[in-house]
Amino acid sequence: MLAYIVRRTAYGFVVVLGVLLLLFALFFLYAEPIEMARRAVGEKAPPEVLEQWVVNHGYDKPTWWNSESPGDTMLVDHFRSMLTFDFGRSDADDSPILERIRAGMGPSLSLTLPIFTVGVLLGVGLSLFVAYFRETYIDRMGVVLCVLGMSLSILLYIIGGQFLIGKMLRWFPISGFDASPAVMLRFLALPVLVGLAEGLGGSIRFYRTVFIEETGRDYVRTARAKGCGDGRIMARHVLHNAMIPILTRVVVSIPFLFTGSLLLESFFGIPGLGSMMVDAIHGNDFATLRAMVYIGALLFIAAQILTDIAYTLVDPRVRLA
Amino acid sequence: MRIADPAVTSPVIATFSKIAGLRDFSQRLQALRDESPEFAALRIDRQYEKAGSIEGVRLHGDFGLEIVLTEPYPQILYWFAMPFTTPVPWEAVAYYDGEEGRPFFKDHPVGCGPFEVSEFDKQSKIVMSRNANWYGVQHPEWKAPGTVYPSEGEAIDRRLGRLDPAYVGRSLPLLDRIELRLEKEHIPAFNKFLQGYYDASGIVHESFDKIVQEGGLSPEMAARGMKLEKSVDPDIYYIGFNMNDPVIGAPAGERGRKLRQSMSLAIDVVEFNRVFNNGRGVPAQSPIPPGIYGYEQPYRNPFRQLDLTRAQALLEAAGYSGGIDPETGKPLRLSFDLGDTSTAGRLRFQFFVDQWAKLGIDVEIAATNYNKFRQKVKEGAYQIFMWGWIADYPDPENFLFLLWGTMAQANSGGPNTANFDHPEFNRLFEEMKGLDNGPERLAIIHRIRSLLEEERPWIELYHRESYALYHSWMRNVKPAGLSLPAAKYVDIDPIERKRMRDAWNQPILWPAYAGFALVALIAIPGVVTFLRERQ
Repeated sequence: MLAYIVRRTAYGFVVVLGVLLLLFALFFLYAEPIEMARRAVGEKAPPEVLEQWVVNHGYDKPTWWNSESPGDTMLVDHFRSMLTFDFGRSDADDSPILERIRAGMGPSLSLTLPIFTVGVLLGVGLSLFVAYFRETYIDRMGVVLCVLGMSLSILLYIIGGQFLIGKMLRWFPISGFDASPAVMLRFLALPVLVGLAEGLGGSIRFYRTVFIEETGRDYVRTARAKGCGDGRIMARHVLHNAMIPILTRVVVSIPFLFTGSLLLESFFGIPGLGSMMVDAIHGNDFATLRAMVYIGALLFIAAQILTDIAYTLVDPRVRLA
Repeated sequence: MRIADPAVTSPVIATFSKIAGLRDFSQRLQALRDESPEFAALRIDRQYEKAGSIEGVRLHGDFGLEIVLTEPYPQILYWFAMPFTTPVPWEAVAYYDGEEGRPFFKDHPVGCGPFEVSEFDKQSKIVMSRNANWYGVQHPEWKAPGTVYPSEGEAIDRRLGRLDPAYVGRSLPLLDRIELRLEKEHIPAFNKFLQGYYDASGIVHESFDKIVQEGGLSPEMAARGMKLEKSVDPDIYYIGFNMNDPVIGAPAGERGRKLRQSMSLAIDVVEFNRVFNNGRGVPAQSPIPPGIYGYEQPYRNPFRQLDLTRAQALLEAAGYSGGIDPETGKPLRLSFDLGDTSTAGRLRFQFFVDQWAKLGIDVEIAATNYNKFRQKVKEGAYQIFMWGWIADYPDPENFLFLLWGTMAQANSGGPNTANFDHPEFNRLFEEMKGLDNGPERLAIIHRIRSLLEEERPWIELYHRESYALYHSWMRNVKPAGLSLPAAKYVDIDPIERKRMRDAWNQPILWPAYAGFALVALIAIPGVVTFLRERQ
């Protein structure tokens, strides 16, 4: 297994390098340092100030290649700072990026963790329920609702949720965030509900398909013939055997817990990493953007390896070599 | 000295370079830093000290400061009233250097006003607290100017109850704490204002008709005790012509001038404001907005009144009869260059294109992203554009310099994007900018205005109108235009706020119970039937 992990890590490293190269190429294909300076310093700044900003932020160097000093290019600086985890300061406001990531991770996790855990539990639980009642009106109604839920845009959930639950029914605040534990739950309730509602349809549809496939297998019929109860069959046998697709879906989602939810954070005013990423995109903040993409890529590779390892734990037939 | 420090990249260094020796100081400082890493590592005050003094800045005792300029520039006084020239302690600048976990000074401002920034989270909120070290707070008995609530004001202040005797003579600031929340999406922010969680707000486009009716608050909002304050912003939005363009600019001579005049007469800005700005906006007659010296409310620019007949006549005189270009025999084709590719942006610009189409002119929208648009401007590859300018300080020079030849984009990369470089205008402008407000200056502004009427490098569109809403518990609010620091006069009635908030936000729970009951009603029969059949 160790050899497998080392090999996958090495592949993953190459992928991360590719992601960094692609990000650099795409960004500087679109953005010019002088425009980044204009965004940071202001529209009215004179050219000399913009040029000074470019020099101060190291964007005055050759982009790809420097024949006089090959190591002195923006590309080399980019790889050097990422591979040494020296994220530096934001291009938009000079704040230390690592500090901002640390500060943003709490609000992001406080939003994404409940959505993730409750979403998985509810998704699996409800899909077991509808799978158990398959071919009844409960199952059919469940499928129709799931398809309906999947068809709606997340923006509709957000704006509808804010209008109906926040403004009309006044159950929870429309938006906002407060790190104080006493009031945090009150602020998070609505975005978590919206996040759950938005993701639930797809999850139930996916898990239901997996469970129905499993319930048609011979071992289920055998268990039933031996007098095993339906609840036990579903909870112990079917759920256990359906773990591989469930794990694939669940573990791959883990990196996104850290990178936050772009739209939910923006609309609900949660100062997390998703919101930070949106700001970085809008503000031509390359330094922040590359740090977030880099961390996202690393987490994604790690999650892929974890998924493979998890397969061996839930299915003894799987061997990593 | 901080403004001159290249590491600060102050956007106003060009303006302050009019101070004798400031540019030299900046260059000396940079040279010393480049030459010696030891120098660059010194504390900031020592670096400034070693770099030498600024020739044009002289101290006279503890309370006297003399500034020597290299050219007449009376507007420098306005710049010294800006937040970035507020006195700051060098100790704070030296300490908050962004090193070892300390924030930069710009993220931890230390000043000398009635409030201090006690929390500065760029992502979510700024909290300002009463500054216990402010002289007004430390010595209320001095009753120093600006430290007590005024007894006099404009006539409108008395009429709107801003000079309430209950406040007159009270020590400022009235509030202990001000919290500014950053909301990235305007609809939830506005809904929270309607629920009473924010004290003040602008009006979102989507709710405008519900809030404002016939120029005032709707009866529904008035019944909630809300107040509406309107003010005209010191800004100008305009359509500009690239005066270097051979068809529409100065090289086209009289023909180009008549074409610009014709296009100017075809734009109905009142309709534009009605459609796109909820009717907010004062039609602009010249570059100078209301509230700035030289603005005259009765003045009507003869080329800014909608008159299609006259526009067609001018177009014909320009040699484009019915909008047809005699060289091609087809409608004259022009390009409207934009840095906005959004659908909403395109709709706004299409409005102008449709108006010109009434003259028979075929204007094509060339929409690119903002960076590409800037690049086109830099290269001079554009014909018509739309832009805006917000005042830095309340002086006509700050608007008319946008048409000064020295500031032409093609000459210096300056903000004169129209590349208007007219010798007479330049002469008048240079004369006007050094004068104090008075009859002589006003006479020159009139001459400049007449010249712009004829030359039409811009089609002046509108000056924005701001509508601000306040709840009944917020007192002494006055739109202050460029004078931002008015927070010390504002007061809040927290008891009324809580009462109203509670009354407006009682949760309605029956839909939740009804929802649970409905789910149970639907699911239970199915479950029971299914289980019975399984038995």
